Order: sequence, then C-alpha cells, then structure tokens
Amino acid sequence: MSQDGPTPLERFINGILPENPVYRQILGMCPTLAVTNSMEGALTMAGAVAFVLICSNVLISLIRGLLKPHLRILVFTLTIATFVTIADRVLAAYMYEMSKQLGPYVPLIIVNCIIICRCEVCASKQGLRAALTDAVGQALGFTLGLASIATVREILGSGTWFGRWLGWRVIPEAAPQHWSPWVVMVLPPGAFITLGLLMGAVNWFAARKAK
Amino acid sequence: MKNSYIGQAWLVVVLSLCFGAALAAVQTTLQPRIEQNKLADTIGQIPKLVPGAAGGELQRVGDQVAYRAMDASGQQVGWVLAAAGQGFADRIELLIGMDAAAARITGLYVLDQKETPGLGNKIVDDAFCAKFQGRATEPVLVVTKHAPQADREIEGITGATISSESVVGIVNAAVAKFREAPKP
Amino acid sequence: MDAATQKPENVASAPVAVAPAIHIAPAPHLFGGVLTTRRMMVDVLLALVPVLVASLWMFRLYTVLQLAICMVSALVAETVFTKMRGRRPTLGDGSAVVTGAILAFSLPATAPWYVGFIGAFVAIGLGKIVFGGLGQNIFNPAMVGRAFVLIAFPVAMGASAYVAPTAGLDGLTQATPLTALKMLGQSTGLLPLFLGTTNGSLGETSALACLIGGLYLCARRTASWEIPAAAILAVAAISGLLGVLGPRTGWTLFHDLSGGAFLFGAFYIATDPVSSPLTPKGKWMFGAGFGALVMLIRRMSGYPEGVMFAVLIMNALVPLINRWAIPTPVGGPVPVKKTA
Repeated sequence: MSQDGPTPLERFINGILPENPVYRQILGMCPTLAVTNSMEGALTMAGAVAFVLICSNVLISLIRGLLKPHLRILVFTLTIATFVTIADRVLAAYMYEMSKQLGPYVPLIIVNCIIICRCEVCASKQGLRAALTDAVGQALGFTLGLASIATVREILGSGTWFGRWLGWRVIPEAAPQHWSPWVVMVLPPGAFITLGLLMGAVNWFAARKAK
Repeated sequence: MKNSYIGQAWLVVVLSLCFGAALAAVQTTLQPRIEQNKLADTIGQIPKLVPGAAGGELQRVGDQVAYRAMDASGQQVGWVLAAAGQGFADRIELLIGMDAAAARITGLYVLDQKETPGLGNKIVDDAFCAKFQGRATEPVLVVTKHAPQADREIEGITGATISSESVVGIVNAAVAKFREAPKP
Repeated sequence: MDAATQKPENVASAPVAVAPAIHIAPAPHLFGGVLTTRRMMVDVLLALVPVLVASLWMFRLYTVLQLAICMVSALVAETVFTKMRGRRPTLGDGSAVVTGAILAFSLPATAPWYVGFIGAFVAIGLGKIVFGGLGQNIFNPAMVGRAFVLIAFPVAMGASAYVAPTAGLDGLTQATPLTALKMLGQSTGLLPLFLGTTNGSLGETSALACLIGGLYLCARRTASWEIPAAAILAVAAISGLLGVLGPRTGWTLFHDLSGGAFLFGAFYIATDPVSSPLTPKGKWMFGAGFGALVMLIRRMSGYPEGVMFAVLIMNALVPLINRWAIPTPVGGPVPVKKTA
C-alpha cells in the first residue's frame, strides 16, 4: 500500500507549502485567527500543536493494526485530548504568562481539525516513518501559516516583531502626527483581513507559477 | 470474544487507563508549580499594593475575596481586595490595596481587562493606577475631565471615559462593601 | 426594471462595444447616454460644493488638506489596484474621487495624514476592488475605509480626537454636539447645529449645506429621494417618541435630525446606488432601517454617532431587502411553478 502513496520525504515537503494546512487545506482556522496578534502567541500555539500532532500521529501509527474502524475516531480523540491536556498543563507550569494569554485556545487544540485529519488520512494507514515525517511537515506548515499572519499583524498592530521575547521594534515609535500602530490589526477584524489578503496573495503567486 | 463488548472496546479501555495514568502523573508533578504561579499572580502583587507588606494570606470577607497584607514580622499592615465589574468591553478584574483600617487606598492593580487597545487599556498603565494612591475611601471617588482639584477626584483617561468610570465604579462599590462587612 | 437605469454598469459599458449589425441587448432599450457613471459622480461632486463651502468656512485649511490627501490617495489606490487586477483603468468614471471626498468629509479636521491615506486605500482596495470593482461592492467603500481607520486609530478618530484646542480654530475647542450630549448631557442650540458652527467631522457640521446639496442630488435623480425621506421620517418618529417618553432638556427631534452626520449620511452616503436597494419599496425600507439604526446607536451604544455603522449594517441587508421588495409585474404576480 505504502508504495502507491507519496514517499515520507514527499509527505514532509507537501505539508510545508503544497498542502499547507492554513493556506491550502484551510484547517485550524480558530487558532489561526485567535492567537496570531503576536509572534510569541503564534509560535507557542504552533509549538503546542506540533507536540500534539507529532505525538498522536506516532502513537496512532503504532497502534494502527489494533484499530476497529467504527471506534477509530474515539481512539483518535482520546489520544489527542490526552496530549492536549499534557501540553496545557506544561504551559501553565512553565510558561504561565503565555498560558494566560492563550487562555482557552490551548485546550481547544483538541478540536483542531489538522490533527484528527492527519490521524485519519495518514497515521492510521501508514508506518511510523511516514506518519512522523507527515506530522513534522504539517506542523511546520502550520507554524509557517501562523508565523506569516502574526508577522503582518504584530508589525502593523504593535510596530514590533517578537516584541515580548526579544523586544525587536520594527517601526520606530513615532509621534501620533507621523505614524501610529494599527489597533485593528491586534483585534479580531485584523485577523480576518490579514488571513484573507495573505491567502489571496498565496493563490495569486500559485496561479502565476502555474501559467 | 470477537463480538463481545470487551472484544470491540478493549483498546479504548486500555488506552483510557494508560492515558489516565499518564495525565495523573503529569498533574501531580506540575500541580504545585501551577498553583504557585497562580498565587504569585495575586500574592506577588501585595508588596507593590500595600507599602511595607512582605506577603499575605487569603482571607474571605463576606463573599469578597481579600488578602491580609503582612509585613516581615507577621504584623498586618493592610488589605488587598479583589474586585471585578463590567468595563466598556468585558469584565475588569482589579486588586485594590488599602491600609489596615481600609480608610485609604494604597495601590491599584489591574489583573485582567479587555478594553479597547490604545484607549481603554490605558487603565493598566501605572500612570492611571497611581492616581488612586493615597485617596481616602470616603467620600466615594468621582471621574473628572480635568486635573483633580479635590481628594476625591480622579482624572479620567482622555477618550476612554467609560473605561475610567468603570474602574472608579468598581473600586467604589467593592471598597464600600468591604468597609461595611464585619472582618474576622 | 426601471431601477436598472440607475445601475452605472449597464450604461457605462454600453457605448464602448463596437456596433454589430443587429442590436440585441437586454432592456432598457431607451437611453440617451446622458445617465453615465461619470455624470452621476460629477453630480455628487457638485452637490458636495455647499458642504465644502461650509467646511472651508468652519475648518479653513484643514478641509483642503484632508480633501487633498484622501482624493489623491483614492486615485492612486484605484490606479494601483485596477492594474494589479489587470482591468482597464477606471479613473475616468470619477468614482474614486467621490469616495475620497466622502471619506475626507467624514474625518476629524486634525486627523493625521496617514488616517486619510490608509482609509482611502482600504476604501478602494477592500471596499471596492476585491469585490470586483464599482458596481460589485456590497458596502459603501468610503464607509469601509472609515470603519477601518476608526478601529485602527481610535486615538486619532475617537470622540476625543475632534477636540484640538491648539489648532487655533474656535470650532475645534469644544466637544462635538453629540459627544457633549452623550458624555456631559449638554445640548447645543438648534441654530448652530443647522448652520454648522459646531465641531464635528469636516462635512457633517452644517445641516443647511447638506440639505441644499442633498435636494440638488434628489432633483437630478442621482440620489433616490426615497432613502433620505424614509430616514428622516424614521429619525423624527423615534426621536419624537423618545422625547415624549423621556424628554432631554433642550434636545428635540430637530436636534437629532440636524446634529451629527445624519443628514450628510442620509443624502450622500446611504443613497449610493451600488450599495442601496433597487426598487422604491426597498429604498423606503433601507432608509427607514438606516434612520432607526442611527438612533439606536446614538442612544444605546458607547459611540456618540452611528451613521457609519448604520450604513454598513444596512448595506449588508440590501440583498435581503431586494428579495422582499420585488415589484409585481404588469398583469399580476408571476405564477409559481410547482417543482418537485
């Protein structure tokens, strides 16, 4: 079976751009919109999702021979929920500020479609190597999606990039008559506008490349 | 065996047991740290809110959550009162520091708020919170649009009248209730 | 389809086509090439002249500055975005100039340059071009731009931004009438509100100027008279009712009508033919809903004025209103075919 599908390396590359979870599959929109107003929040979320995705893909791939078809979703959900809870507790213990800022969105990783999609599509049918490379590729793609949106939103909305961790100020603090951060970019409408424009840009480049 | 319930669901049961054990282990390992983080969030503010305080302990007064602020020798030097109320956008949660008799406000800290960035969220700035320092708790505070001329006047944030008034209203209501409540 | 004559698309594109041997075109068959997009836009600009005069008298050079920033930015944005989409340039139809002008007239006098600049780009880009250009946009472009900059720059656009004591103009020293009413409970006299000697957005202050320009627009049929009429009736009814239920000292329904941006919005913004309903019945509904929302936002929300949000909300409802207000054809309603 596994000879027909893409090789592990192809799976890895596919996850990053050609099948990018955010821009191509349009999965995981809730964290994409909710936590991308700063790079720190976006990368913490991406890290948590990567942890859950890789762990559950590996585990599901290991037990794939034991799965009963009608109980598989239950097993997927159980596995994902466990790893999400672990991620949530670890964040609360070691990154308390970030955990407070992300709030309910860390527990909400449970319902992030990317993870259950990869379990269903890949991990439950493929061997360990394929499942692992697939999970890493998808996680990188998701990180790329979140980071690109967060870059636009944080630079325009706060004038910084990694402002809380590294203190990088991209746009100098100007007097209000010269320039001002765009508050709308920090708020939810900014997330929708940025996602729409970036998705449009990705499609535009893809269409140009295809020509 | 194949068609019994156990035969169908043994994997789910086994996985649940394993995952339950793993979560229990994670929880027991991390719980103290998480609790400490949460406490540090409020108790850690006490020395900043009440001058001379080194720490504090939780003390419920009526249905209000308050903390006794203690100095290094364990003597009570004031109170820190948790208060919350509706702001312009969402609930605002405050910590109000007071002296031992609850007669003067010694400090104010905004625990949580979701006011408009750039306008209402200036209530978290020291510039605004410091305005409450040293104010008498009686008569009640009022928001003004100019520099304060009387002890009870707090200058509001320009463009964020509702947020400023919400904070002052929450402080007034919580402090008045706290002053009347019998203290253990 | 009498309303089709007011849709700029059908008409503007018609003369461009090379004449074939046999004309086969959808109705309307009678048009003289007079009612073009360009003529409508010139009409709107002419109707804005009284507003401009009142604004110049009140805000002096600030008006010139904001108008220049917004109109130039709108033209640049139109050029850039139509080029990006590979369409033929549409600068000549004048719609970008009108969008820029309406946006400028809805800004505070002392708003920094980037407010008008970004507002115009958002108005043309996100408000119009992403939908497919003029005629396809769901929302009034100028109001999309203004909503964006209002949320993006609350400090430069909020109620406090209107007061600029250091600007050296008398009008800019007090709060706008609606802010004064909302925050301080102070009423402004009816005569200053009517003539426009109060503070406010550049174009909104003078009710008289808006009435003159608006009546010109309605007389020229560039704007549908039903929309402002319905809006005025709705505001008068609600304000009158509220006045009876709980009178405010010195604030009557005439104050509500002439205060704030209501008349400017009712005549110049809500009547945008692209983003308002097609049929007269629909226009009545649209106008009444607009007026009711303005009053709702003024009285019940944290914002002192609600014209912009009222226009945007009603724009979103236009497809629904169009379905409700389908006119009965001559000869009775079309029999509904029973489908399985």
